[in-house]
Amino acid sequence: MTANLYQPVSAEIAEIIDESPTIKSFVVVPDGEFPFDTGQFVELALPGEGEAPFTPSSSPSVTEKMEITIMKAGRITGLLHECGKGQPVGLRGPYGNGYPVDEFAGKHVYIVGGGVGLAPIRSLFLTLVDRIGDFKSVVCRFGARTPEDFIYKNTLFGAWQKLDGVEIKLTVDQANGDWDGNVGVVTTILNRKDVDIENAVAVVCGPPIMMKYATVSLLDFGFAPSKIYLSMEKNMSCGVGKCGHCMLGKYYVCKDGPVFTLDQIDKYPDIWE
Amino acid sequence: METAFISKLKPLLHAVAETMDVYVPRKVDEHYVCSRYDPEAQAEPEWNEIRMCTPVKELLFPLREMAAAFPEPVEPQPVKPFAVFGLKACDLRSLEILDKVFMEEGFEDPFYIARREAMFSIASDCTAPGESCFCNLLYGKPYAEGGFDLNVSRVTDGYIVQPGSPKGRSFLFAHASLFGDVPDALLAERTELRELGQRRLADVHQELPVDAPLRTIVERGYASEAFDEEARTCVECQACTRVCPTCHCFYFHDTKQDDYFARMKMWDSCMRMGYAGVAGGANPRKILGDRLRHRFMHKFVWFFDRYGLEMCVGCGRCIDAESGDVDMRRVLRRLSDECLGMGQKAVQAPK
Repeated sequence: MTANLYQPVSAEIAEIIDESPTIKSFVVVPDGEFPFDTGQFVELALPGEGEAPFTPSSSPSVTEKMEITIMKAGRITGLLHECGKGQPVGLRGPYGNGYPVDEFAGKHVYIVGGGVGLAPIRSLFLTLVDRIGDFKSVVCRFGARTPEDFIYKNTLFGAWQKLDGVEIKLTVDQANGDWDGNVGVVTTILNRKDVDIENAVAVVCGPPIMMKYATVSLLDFGFAPSKIYLSMEKNMSCGVGKCGHCMLGKYYVCKDGPVFTLDQIDKYPDIWE
Repeated sequence: METAFISKLKPLLHAVAETMDVYVPRKVDEHYVCSRYDPEAQAEPEWNEIRMCTPVKELLFPLREMAAAFPEPVEPQPVKPFAVFGLKACDLRSLEILDKVFMEEGFEDPFYIARREAMFSIASDCTAPGESCFCNLLYGKPYAEGGFDLNVSRVTDGYIVQPGSPKGRSFLFAHASLFGDVPDALLAERTELRELGQRRLADVHQELPVDAPLRTIVERGYASEAFDEEARTCVECQACTRVCPTCHCFYFHDTKQDDYFARMKMWDSCMRMGYAGVAGGANPRKILGDRLRHRFMHKFVWFFDRYGLEMCVGCGRCIDAESGDVDMRRVLRRLSDECLGMGQKAVQAPK
């Protein structure tokens, strides 16, 4: 008989890391290996309460555990934030297509991220760094509301900046404390000379409003819509293209996404709603 | 055996009931509902002139079922074979549509498949298409040409039974003593009655346009104000999607039991306000008209793009069930008029 695709596997929260006032990372250890491709998402369940979709923020090279970074935004995420170590959870997936990293080979990878959108990007970043020689460069432009709102501060402000082949610029909407970097939304640190656009792909992940304006800038710089990779956030529920909640035009974001190139979806109005 | 004759329905259904639970139409007011057949009952089973108002999906993808449990997993249980009598061509087409979704390779829904495989479908010709029927606009006919195990056509003094699958043929073979041969005259009568059914159906919707495929009409009408305007009387009762034999949206509802957690899979409706909303409050379809547009686009354009057939069978159940007077035919007619207008403008433009 066909396996039950709606049944989660058992897992446990092994560690919790405070990332920002509203964001925590959870180290989740499933019963057995749980391989995934970077950019794919999982359904994380709090038994008896419900589940929600998240893209793991850890490298897919680690399969015995994964990190999931969660912003407190709704009922399930609020309950997860109250959980402690040892909390039993359920995991389904992985679902969707993920980032086509092999197609990025030989190119500059221009990554634009904001807020908790850095979670899927961290997984992609770690994947790219593992084989950094395959890419012309990895150029990151990340934004957050305030310096405190950046997640992964230790590595973001430190080790990642020193990696060969990687260039990172950060910005905040509002500076405070001893922030001496750029102040302004993420589009203010995008520049058409950041990468050789003819030989580059762009990856955008963040709040819809940020994605919308970052995409406008990228198009203005001359990026082809087929070279702009967007992580779309919709209400992915079943994960297998049936329940209908995450439809974006003819696509099921859960099955055909969550990563789309702009040319796949730009014919649908209001993709940022 | 190509076709067989039987004078009463009762012996036929009685034979089916020997090994299966049987569901039959039962008339309640002006509609037929699907109910369990009692082989002990004296009365001859009812003949539904048109489709039952209950969609057949209810037997395959119930309103509410347990889809997962925690910590002990739940697996689909074997399903006792069951038969449904009185399915119409539109119902069989709805099964074809649901199969695309729930039997998709690599994404099979085991609960649906277990029931689907246990189902014995006994179709019957429509003898009086209803006022809301518009299957003829979606390539439908008032009789089935395939997709059934058995098909029953009413003729003078009895019924012609035709098998449509190996299961159906085995059934007729096993119960050969119940059936007689079909004289040519009765086959000719069946053809005449079927043609009459088609003419009646065409008469009901003389004014409905068929100049362009419905998917073209709907796709070109994406920006039409028709959706907002036609949705004005909608009261969001969601009856249209519940009673639709092809709508298959569902949501999960997690519950706590004494010693386990259960995840229920329950019907949902894209006409519901919070349907597409995400944590944090974003919702791509806050406006009712946008949700009506989505329903039309999904049914006539996006499902077709994906699976090669429309997700509407023209059964008209949504029109009968509608408490807010949103008539799918009226929306389609409006979009068609607008589409025709656009075409004329396009032709006139070069002058």
